[in-house]
Amino acid sequence: MIALATGASLAQSPAQTPAPAPPATAPLNRNIIVLDAAHGGVDSGSRIGDSTLEKDVTLALAFRLRSLLAARGFTVVMTRENDAAQKPGAPAAGNSALTLDDRAGIANHAHAAACLLLHATGAGDGVHLYSSELDPAPAETSVPPWLTAQAAWVSQSTQLEARIGAALQRAKLPLVSSRASVRPVDSLTCPAVVVELAPESEDRNSITDGDYQQRVSEAIAGALVFWAQQVKPPLLLAGDHAAGTEVQP
Amino acid sequence: MIYKHQRIVFWVMVGCIVLMATLLFLERQRGRERILSLANQMPLDAPAASTEPVTLDLANDDNGSIHAEQRQMALPVEVNARVRALLDQLIAEYALPGSAHPLQQGSAVSEVFLLPLPVVGYSVNSAAPLRADGTPATSPVAADTPGPAPANPGGELAVIDLRSTFVNQHPSGVEVESLTLLSIVGTLHANIPQIEQVRFLVDGQPRETLAGHADLLRTYPSRDTATPNTGGGQ
Repeated sequence: MIALATGASLAQSPAQTPAPAPPATAPLNRNIIVLDAAHGGVDSGSRIGDSTLEKDVTLALAFRLRSLLAARGFTVVMTRENDAAQKPGAPAAGNSALTLDDRAGIANHAHAAACLLLHATGAGDGVHLYSSELDPAPAETSVPPWLTAQAAWVSQSTQLEARIGAALQRAKLPLVSSRASVRPVDSLTCPAVVVELAPESEDRNSITDGDYQQRVSEAIAGALVFWAQQVKPPLLLAGDHAAGTEVQP
Repeated sequence: MIYKHQRIVFWVMVGCIVLMATLLFLERQRGRERILSLANQMPLDAPAASTEPVTLDLANDDNGSIHAEQRQMALPVEVNARVRALLDQLIAEYALPGSAHPLQQGSAVSEVFLLPLPVVGYSVNSAAPLRADGTPATSPVAADTPGPAPANPGGELAVIDLRSTFVNQHPSGVEVESLTLLSIVGTLHANIPQIEQVRFLVDGQPRETLAGHADLLRTYPSRDTATPNTGGGQ
C-alpha cells in the first residue's frame, strides 16, 4: 500500500556530474491526517455537563473532521472508530485496550502531514489549541527517544497550531492557543496539535451542538488543506531513509 | 379572656424560642470558623520559629493564567521538608473556598527526593580497596542515555511523589491539569533555586497522566511559569 518515491535520484543521467545529494529528511505523507479521538471505553475523560462525556464529544468531532478531510482528498487514519479504544487486530479476549503509546505508534507509522489529538472540556469556551512544550531540536535522529520524539517536529507543530488558530479566528470562534505537555504528543513524529473543544457559550451542552462542531471542523479542515502543501519534515541526522524521501499512498 | 398563667406560659415559650435561635446562630458561626481554620491549616514537617517570604505561583482557571503571590511562611531548614511544606501550602491555597483553581483538600505530596544532576548510578568497584567501614567501594556509572548536565553547579532534580488520593480526585482537562503542574514547577523555581528539573511519581510509581491529559512521564525544566500578560492565551 505504501510505496517509496525516490524521484530525485532517478532523474539523474549517467553523463551528468552527480549533484550533491540533498539532505535526508524524515518520511512524510502529505495526504495523510491522523485523528486521535482521546479517551474511549472505560476511560471516559472529563465529565462535561450532566450527561456528556469527553470521549463521546471527541469521537463525534473526529467523525465530522474525517468526513470533511476525506472530501478534500485526504486519507484519514483514526486511532479509534467506536467507543472502546481497542488495539487493531487484537482478539476480543484479553487486554486489548489501546494505550497512549499505542496511539502514538499508530500515528507515527502513518508519517502523516498532521496529527490532531482531539479533546473536550467543559471549562472555558471556544477551541483551545496546544502544541508540545519540548524545546525544538534541529533534526531528527534515526531512533529518537520515545518520550521526546516530538522535539524535531516542534517548530512544524507550532506553525500548524498558528495556521489552525488563524482559520478558527477567521470563523469567529473563540480561541486559546498555548503550549502544554499532553500525553502522548511528545512521542509523536509528525506535526502534532492538541485540539480541545470547549462549549460555544456558557451553556455546557452547547459543546454537542452539531452546527458548532461543524463550523470548528470546517475551519480545521480548511487549514489542513493549505498546511499539507507547506509542511516541511525535519532533517534526519543519521538515518537509513533515502534523501528527500516522501511516502506516497 | 386570657388567664394570667396562660400569658406567663406564652412569654416563657417566646423566651425559649429566642434563646434557642441565639444558640443555633452562635453554634453555626463557631462551626464555620472551625472549617475555615481547618482549610487554612499549613502542615509542616518541622515548624520553624520565624516566618519568611515565599512566592507561590497560583493558577487561575478563569483565564488560564498563573500569577505569583507573596506569602509569609514558617519553613523548615531541611531542603526536602521545605519543598514539601511549600507544595502543601500551595495545594492548601487551592482548597480554600473561592479558590480560582479549586482542588480537593488534603495532603498532595507523599515524599520529595532531591537528586544531584546529572543523575548517575553506582556499581561496586571490586578493584578498589574496601572503605574504612568495610563496605565495598563504588564508582559512578552513567545512564545508557545520559540526562542533561546541570545548568549551574549543584543543580538538582526534584522528584515529587504525589499521593494517589490527590491525583485520583484531580479535575480532568488539559488546561486545569497543566496549570497544576506548572504552578508546582513555578513555585519550586521561585523558592528553591538549586532545583533545575522536576519529575513526578504517584505513590512511588511512574504514571502517564495527572487526570487523563497532562504528561507525568516527562521531566519538567524548572522555570518561571507566571503568565506575563494575565489575559491568558493569545
